[in-house]
Amino acid sequence: MSFFVTFWRIFLAAWKHFTRNLWLSLTTIFVLILALLSVNVLIGVNVLLTHATQNLENKIDVSVYFSPSTTPAVLEQARFFMSGLPQVKSAQLLTANEALAAFKARHAGDKKILGALDELNENPLGATLILKARKTDNYPFLLKALKNPQFDFAISSQNYEDHANTIARVQSVSRSVQLFGAGLVLIFILFSVLIVFNTIRVAIYTQREEIGIMRLVGASSSYVRLPFVFEGIFLALIALVFTGTIVVALSAYIDPRLASVFDGANPGLSAYFVGNALILTITEGIALASLVGFSSWAAVGKYLKR
Amino acid sequence: MIQLEHISKIYPPDVRGLRDVNMHIRPGEFVSIVGQSGAGKTTIARLLIAEERPTRGKISIGGWEITNISRRDIPYLRRQIGVVFQDFKLLPKKTVYENVAFALEVATVASSRIREIVPQVLKIVGLDEKGKRFPQQLSGGEQQRVVIARSLVHRPKVLIADEPTGNLDTISMREIIDLLEKINSFGTTVVLVTHNREVVNALRRRVITLSDGRVVSDQAEGKYLLPT
Repeated sequence: MSFFVTFWRIFLAAWKHFTRNLWLSLTTIFVLILALLSVNVLIGVNVLLTHATQNLENKIDVSVYFSPSTTPAVLEQARFFMSGLPQVKSAQLLTANEALAAFKARHAGDKKILGALDELNENPLGATLILKARKTDNYPFLLKALKNPQFDFAISSQNYEDHANTIARVQSVSRSVQLFGAGLVLIFILFSVLIVFNTIRVAIYTQREEIGIMRLVGASSSYVRLPFVFEGIFLALIALVFTGTIVVALSAYIDPRLASVFDGANPGLSAYFVGNALILTITEGIALASLVGFSSWAAVGKYLKR
Repeated sequence: MIQLEHISKIYPPDVRGLRDVNMHIRPGEFVSIVGQSGAGKTTIARLLIAEERPTRGKISIGGWEITNISRRDIPYLRRQIGVVFQDFKLLPKKTVYENVAFALEVATVASSRIREIVPQVLKIVGLDEKGKRFPQQLSGGEQQRVVIARSLVHRPKVLIADEPTGNLDTISMREIIDLLEKINSFGTTVVLVTHNREVVNALRRRVITLSDGRVVSDQAEGKYLLPT
């Protein structure tokens, strides 16, 4: 009974303190929102960069050109063998006519090439096998797999060498982006922790006289500390709600404006934040409330010595 | 009731606050501790509420030796001693009622008892109509009466008043001293720390005079002897 009475009194004291120190409370909430926003903005940037590199990776493929005399059986065998590999995401076989149509479409603006093609009476192109790997790391393996004696003899060329540098660069950018993003998020989390800790310390410093008075009239250390801890948790939860609203609204606003960067596709920022709302709210809520609670507990302790 | 035996207090590096002070205050007494600034009056008040520890000697209150009281026990000591300060020490964000009730809440007194006791003590100090006001909405004399009300809620056996009239005008000062005498008449031991000659001489009670950290006089019906 006495525990619940004490708990209720501490809760009530925290709430009254929160409402009666409204300006101090609002200032602290503002700083907490800024700290949370900086972390979430970094998370958003990381999502966009990851999405952008995935987009680039999706554009990479290897075209394997077969000589025009290759029989359909050999072509089908090559397609069947390659598509059966677990590293292959897709294997699309274009016939000689489809390859010609694709070539003409790719060089639609180049009259010289089209003119040269017209001078030839027959289709100079053979069939083409377009391979997409599951990961960019898999392309060197696919090239080795193409050395299969059952169809290797029919391959006239492949464009991997043209793409090799691009693939390597995309791979390197992708790794750097992930590393840089994670590092930046960690640094911002560290900054936010320091900002929150010091904000709470300053907020409690302004109330050091009150803490001393509470002690003088016979309040135990925990009776003095707990209302400040509870009040800190109120502030953290309010900051969390405001930040969540701002992040969702901001990502919905930014998404269509960034579509052009992603070739018209949705960058998926809003989808990421909405889809992960629960886990982000719980993680950030627990982290912030613990941080603010601990900061309050430690900061009050400094003025409890007498 | 209050026993100080060979109490010395040295503040680092070597400032002597008290030098071998001996004092015995009986239950129900009204004692004024007087002296000029720096004589050691406030140091005694702070030792009695365990805000300071003596460098040497022994202090006991009501048979409880508090010389080396643990931090954990300090709140229990303070709930048994009423303390009135010159600078009031009221919680600015709590109303008059809440300030008085706070002293009971920290001692986990039942809410129904708090609702019973607080109006009673506010009535004793004449503030029963001002329970909803905040400290800054009161005069100095009224604020000091709130402090006295807060110190009375536990029905303490000892009330320590450290310069309670220091920030008050003459009329408020008289009201506060009358209130302290009234509390003493109920049987509470009152220790008044002051350097106010007028107050001490009007009281005609026991006066302990300190000078340079030593007790230089202890008179049963004393007067303020030191030059102002």
